[in-house]
Amino acid sequence: MSRKPYQRELPKTTWFLRHARYKKYMLHEISAFAVAVYLLILIIGLFRLGQGEEAWAGWLSFVTSPFGLILHLIIFGLSLVHTTAWFKAVPQAMRVQRGEQFVPGPTIVGAHYVVWAAVSVFVLILAGVA
Amino acid sequence: MSERTIELEVLRYRPEQDSEPWFQTYKVSCPEEWVVLDALNYVKDELDRTLSYRWSCHMFVCGSCGMVIDGEPKLACKAFLRDYGNRIRIEPLANFPIERDLVIVMDDFMEKLESVKPYLIPKEEKSIDQGEYLQTPAQLKAYKQYSMCINCMLCYSACPQYGLAPEFIGPAALALAHRYNMDSRDVGRKAREDTVASHEGIWECSFVGACSEVCPKSVDPAGAIQQVKLTSAIDYFTSWLPGGGSR
Amino acid sequence: MARSHKAPFWFLFAAGGTVVAFVLPVMVLVTGIAPTLGLFEGAMSFDAMSAFVGNWLVKIVLFGIITLALWHAAHRLRVVAHDFGIRADAPVAGTVYGLAALGTLLTAIALLGV
Ligand code: SF4
Repeated sequence: MSRKPYQRELPKTTWFLRHARYKKYMLHEISAFAVAVYLLILIIGLFRLGQGEEAWAGWLSFVTSPFGLILHLIIFGLSLVHTTAWFKAVPQAMRVQRGEQFVPGPTIVGAHYVVWAAVSVFVLILAGVA
Repeated sequence: MSERTIELEVLRYRPEQDSEPWFQTYKVSCPEEWVVLDALNYVKDELDRTLSYRWSCHMFVCGSCGMVIDGEPKLACKAFLRDYGNRIRIEPLANFPIERDLVIVMDDFMEKLESVKPYLIPKEEKSIDQGEYLQTPAQLKAYKQYSMCINCMLCYSACPQYGLAPEFIGPAALALAHRYNMDSRDVGRKAREDTVASHEGIWECSFVGACSEVCPKSVDPAGAIQQVKLTSAIDYFTSWLPGGGSR
Repeated sequence: MARSHKAPFWFLFAAGGTVVAFVLPVMVLVTGIAPTLGLFEGAMSFDAMSAFVGNWLVKIVLFGIITLALWHAAHRLRVVAHDFGIRADAPVAGTVYGLAALGTLLTAIALLGV
């Protein structure tokens, strides 16, 4: 009997609409845009800082404009998406074996959250005190 | 024992007659404790003998009855009807060519499995008289999870990167390479690395993680691949150092 | 099969992803959202900021954070292009990594100018 296998193609640009887990993955991937835009703003800010008080004030007025705020809120949201997804994946990518046991995933993830909190508080204190 | 009538929408493809697949609906009265495979067996025995699908053990061991059930890659023997509504859509595994009905062509998977040398490559061959290659429980534990794979291919069905780039070696084969790399009795990592760390290997993976979510044996191929990425990246750097590994 | 050269870029991606996960949310909060809310007004003033970034240690840490984050984003954008069906990987990679390299250079210049 002759064979005639049928090949179904995955739609190259819309495949991720097919399943909730793919959409979640794409949201995480998209966070790269947020990181890129934020870094662009930040680097411009550093240049402005070097150019003097007036230039810096101009940059600050962009940040505090309604558009600047909305932009940063979106970036903030996506940065949280990245952080939570990244921490969740750590135990998969990095297993720690002690004798016959592995350090449980939740312990590793929990440790990351503790460090995250410490780092964040440190930066906030720096900002509040500086 | 409660029964309910379930409509099974099964993707049919008969290469002699059909130019493309189509859905056929079977109405089956099912006891609630059945799994999807039981319902398919009922169809085959009582309603339509032309329906083709693979199955063997009926107990999550053989890995034959992988199919896409309501959009999710599943073992039909592990998909309990009580978890589904009155209409269940059954399709063959995605990303593979359909041979007939729910039967897919798995040649590509078999080739990829072979390409990663999924067997022990010991430092020195021992004869049977010389005894076993010994291993401590902790050494066993290091790779045991990755040895649980039953080659059901659900992970390939879930992996969009395999769907987008069919040359990708894919989750189960890479996890199996990792299983042998992690085995204290094995020294074959270098021999596997040319395939594993190639463009078609681990680097095609973008850690969607779908493979690990659908795996019926909790193998976590996605985790295995990320671990291999890290060791391969370290290899990459040390290979540039004097005395580093061959590239 | 030939070994891939994605390894070093993936390494930067992974290191950057870790840095981004730990520090980006709070940085966005301080430099992007707090100014509008009127929090930490002193910290974001010209004098305080100049003094802060003027510190060499701060410069080095900021340079590390920004560049790793840049390479992280660049590599991920390469993957995003692939995921949206753009299969011309070489030009995409050249573009995103080129931008990351440019960003690295600009970061250094900006930091040295403060
Ligand atoms: S890794 Fe899991 S899903 Fe993939 S073939 Fe093996 S058992 Fe099946």
